[in-house]
Amino acid sequence: MMNTKVKILSALKSVYDPELNINVVDLGLIYNIEITESNDVTITMTLTTPGCPLHDSITSGVRYSVEGLEETGKVEVNLVWEPAWSPDKMTPEGLRLLGR
Amino acid sequence: MLPQTMGSETNIKLPISFILFSLFALVLSQIQLLVNGQLMTDGSFRIPVIWSSAHFLVLGWALMAAMGAMYQLVPVAFLTNIWNERFGFIQFFVTAVGITSFAAMLYWSPQNAIIPGVLTLLGILMFLVQMFMTLSKQAKPTILTAFVGSSLVCLFITISLGITLIYSLKTGFASEYYQSIFEAHLLMGVSGWFTLLIFGFSYKMVPMFSLSHGFPMVQAKFVYGFYLSGLVVSLVSFFTNNSILLKIGFLLLLIGFTIFSWHIKIIIKKRLKKTLDKPFRFALVAIGFGNVIHLAAFIMLWNQDVSHFAGPLIYAYLLLWIVLSIVSYLYKIVPFLWWTYKYSKEIGKNKVPSLKEMMNEKIVPTLFSLFIVAVLIVFCALTFHVAILFNIGQFVLSIVFIIIAISILKVLKK
Repeated sequence: MMNTKVKILSALKSVYDPELNINVVDLGLIYNIEITESNDVTITMTLTTPGCPLHDSITSGVRYSVEGLEETGKVEVNLVWEPAWSPDKMTPEGLRLLGR
Repeated sequence: MLPQTMGSETNIKLPISFILFSLFALVLSQIQLLVNGQLMTDGSFRIPVIWSSAHFLVLGWALMAAMGAMYQLVPVAFLTNIWNERFGFIQFFVTAVGITSFAAMLYWSPQNAIIPGVLTLLGILMFLVQMFMTLSKQAKPTILTAFVGSSLVCLFITISLGITLIYSLKTGFASEYYQSIFEAHLLMGVSGWFTLLIFGFSYKMVPMFSLSHGFPMVQAKFVYGFYLSGLVVSLVSFFTNNSILLKIGFLLLLIGFTIFSWHIKIIIKKRLKKTLDKPFRFALVAIGFGNVIHLAAFIMLWNQDVSHFAGPLIYAYLLLWIVLSIVSYLYKIVPFLWWTYKYSKEIGKNKVPSLKEMMNEKIVPTLFSLFIVAVLIVFCALTFHVAILFNIGQFVLSIVFIIIAISILKVLKK
């Protein structure tokens, strides 16, 4: 299970916010990854702002990237606005890419 | 945690149709000015060729680009789908035919511009219906809804006053109020429709492009209150010929704009993105120009020869605030539209380019700086009536506009 989670996180690192050119993991958009016994995955995530024009593209990209893994079954993306995204959710690498 | 449903993206063909038409109109309006516009240097603004070119620039380019941008931005900014996309395509066709025939008729036979004018009006009315129906579906209206909704009301008033002007020209109807209606038409169009619209969407786009967080929004209410009061008071002053009321109106507009500039500065200070994209930086420069021109317009009211400065200042306001803002944002919006069309299904599967890689940003500082210099040259030419200066400035400007249009169109090859 732990191994699958690592692979999912690695796959998610290939999904970039095209405006910021930072992946969704380093941006701190991924809140939770749940894996069932049958390897179905539910990803809870947010976006930097509720009115993000890349709303559909990023959430679809997250789903596609995880669906592409051999270890996973059904993938569901659960987009939430609470708790709201804030900069402290970013990784040091994400902040570095923003010039911080 | 509150789960949300997925949003839905507008059919890209709708906003892109408007934007492509707008680029065509932009180039054409510039060529028209270049060939015929020298008359402006004699202070003759109200002549058929200027009417035609100004309407091609303002309606054909700025209005159509704004409509295209709104078809894209309204669903994302207000979290609601466009009311009826098919209706949107019909609206595009009616408006495009209307504006083209209207600008052509203003050039060749202004007194017969009423029918294409009505067609343009119909297209704009259809757009207003589309937007009001879309905004009415919004679950929780915000201050952005107030800005955008009010700008749409101003657009309706502008067009109605414009049609009244043509009718007055043809029949003599309300001829004693012709000057007042003309002034109201200009104010509602440039400051009402465009400025309120740019204010509204700036509050969405500035934090988005700078990744700003934790900024206050209370100032936006003051911007709205002061600017809208300024519009109303100025409008009343035109019809009552009350110069004190006009000064109060322009002061309120200046205060509203200044609070907006200050508020944007606060938002930018709260940004996470250290280096801002080049086109976006010019959208911020445009705010500075808009503020300075508002101040100049207020000072101008104390001068005896107001009419001498009014034309050049309106020109500068249109170009350095409205056009510069729209062009700067187009450099962000068009790559986004094309990226969505071409790569949104590829993200997560294959490597996709970033939005920055969709556009050649390197030319932006030179191109936009040239644009500013050219507009300032034309502004001086109009103020001091120097024909050679006008020709130089307008020539550079037309070339810059054509390069801007080509560089934006080149995104479609990525």
